[in-house]
Amino acid sequence: MDNIYRPYLMNIGDMTDEAPGVRTFRLNFSNEEEGNKFQFQTGQFGLYSVFGAGESTFCIASSPTKKDYIECTFRQAGRVTNALRELNIGDTLGFRGPYGNMFPIEKWEGKNLVFVAGGIALPPLRSVIWNCLDLRDKYKNVTIIYGAKTVADLVYKDELKEWNARDDVNLVTTVDPGGETPDWAGKVGFVPTVVEETAPDSNDTIAIVCGPPIMIKFTLPVLEKLGFKQDKVYTTLENRMKCGLGKCGRCNIGCTYVCKEGPVFTAEEISKMPDEF
Amino acid sequence: MEKLLNKNSFDSLITGLKKQGYKTIAPKKDNKLVTLEEIQDANEISLDHVITNNSIKEFFFPKTEKILSYTIEKNKVEMEEPEGFAVKSVIFGSRPCDAFSLPVMDKVFNWDCSDKFWVERREAITIVTVACDKCDSYCFCTSVGLAPDAKQGSDVLLTKISNDEYLVETVTEKGENLVKELESVFSDPPSGTPDRQVATVEKKFEIDKVKPWLDDNFQHNVWDEFSYKCIGCGACTFVCPTCHCFDIVDECTMTKGDRVKNWDGCQFTMFTMHTSGHNPRSTQGMRWRQRIMHKFKYYVEKFDSTLCVGCGRCSRVCPADMNISEMLEIIATEENQPVSKE
Repeated sequence: MDNIYRPYLMNIGDMTDEAPGVRTFRLNFSNEEEGNKFQFQTGQFGLYSVFGAGESTFCIASSPTKKDYIECTFRQAGRVTNALRELNIGDTLGFRGPYGNMFPIEKWEGKNLVFVAGGIALPPLRSVIWNCLDLRDKYKNVTIIYGAKTVADLVYKDELKEWNARDDVNLVTTVDPGGETPDWAGKVGFVPTVVEETAPDSNDTIAIVCGPPIMIKFTLPVLEKLGFKQDKVYTTLENRMKCGLGKCGRCNIGCTYVCKEGPVFTAEEISKMPDEF
Repeated sequence: MEKLLNKNSFDSLITGLKKQGYKTIAPKKDNKLVTLEEIQDANEISLDHVITNNSIKEFFFPKTEKILSYTIEKNKVEMEEPEGFAVKSVIFGSRPCDAFSLPVMDKVFNWDCSDKFWVERREAITIVTVACDKCDSYCFCTSVGLAPDAKQGSDVLLTKISNDEYLVETVTEKGENLVKELESVFSDPPSGTPDRQVATVEKKFEIDKVKPWLDDNFQHNVWDEFSYKCIGCGACTFVCPTCHCFDIVDECTMTKGDRVKNWDGCQFTMFTMHTSGHNPRSTQGMRWRQRIMHKFKYYVEKFDSTLCVGCGRCSRVCPADMNISEMLEIIATEENQPVSKE
């Protein structure tokens, strides 16, 4: 019988510093055969481990359309992420996954998409953004609204430039008041306000929102005001997890196991959950 | 298959098990505590207790167990699978409530994907239960649909029929094979209807009334009220035969280490705390709600089974004298009272 807790061994192929304390690893499978068999869908997550420090849960931040590697972006915060920070290109880490459900991007075909992300919550949306951009002709207008506390805290700065340069993507970036630099060309203001100002018409549009709880709390009512139906608004949740397999018993919100039934939920599904976020 | 087992034959039973290559685990008295642990000799067995202080859980899902070993060299990690964790054993003298916890827990350890550490131990261990001939005020198996002589989860059930004799009933094929392996230890069952000495466990609440109340009362002041006494020690979760929450941590030196699965508990503040410091269950009341909701609502909805066998251990060990069956009694009668919602 297979050991469900056994990770894949991955090598760090490349790394990018995104923002203070935030780093992206590009990970290649140490065992080529395992890499060839591996498949995931956008929105899924995994448990990344540093041998000796432990496991930590993050999304897969790259798109399934990018073969041969996966990427994760993490902020240095706890035991495992501090240990991840110590690793270098060529080092080995562990990965278990993919776990959880996915963004139903096939259901969104033919519609406008608006992605709304705050701070370190762009990584989970980056996977689905690239997935949709790599299938660009299947979707109508694509808008990305991304905010961070300060200009320095914006992650994926090169990709933001790339999206900004594209004619087929409408990128809106914003920083919190006080977080701007003299040469900042984007907006200044909190994400919910910027969404209200810049979001596209809700007609035939899917909204995908991810951010800190406070941002979600104030953005969902704005979307509702703009006419977005709850079943057209998607988000991805995070809770503390240990197994990722519905056994360790801690990520549930009421009856819903975030690791199994989630992490992707519609605002409608979330509205039916008990208040235990 | 029915047989008879005389207390005088315990000795040859234990010797026989050893000969057949079984490790024997049985209730053993140590001062006042009776604990399920490995025994070598029949005279270590104690069967005059109500219930062992530890549950059967740790023999299938240990307090701490390796799920992976590894060695770390420069740019290279070698992983090694733990082996030899499933040892052919007999648990002799467990209680029916404990035995029933096993099929209940099979559900969570097997849904979608199977945890081999649980599954392989389940296959390796045979359960010989002794029906309860006494109970105490904490016992409430009859309130959760069980009985002091329930058979579910046991491979063999023994029921006391006189001071020295037990009626032996095989429940599963595994149990039947065990009895056949040790045939000489058993004698033929008595003719006629034997006098089964089985405890009478008082029914404290109607289980059918619990879930409908829970469905409606996620927000209710009882959650805080129940938990005021709670000191968050988590003892209730550790002695519980059906609490299955665990943590995964690494234990290592510079060059080698183990990834370890440890018991964890929903009563601890850290259990759900995010790295950011945000905690979805930030008060003890929320954590008590989780404990009761998980056992009597969430698990029922997911797996069609109550995650409680009524053993009463959580209440026996609670240093603050909290009593889950008293809470359930309140919940089960609450619908007749004015509902006080916050």
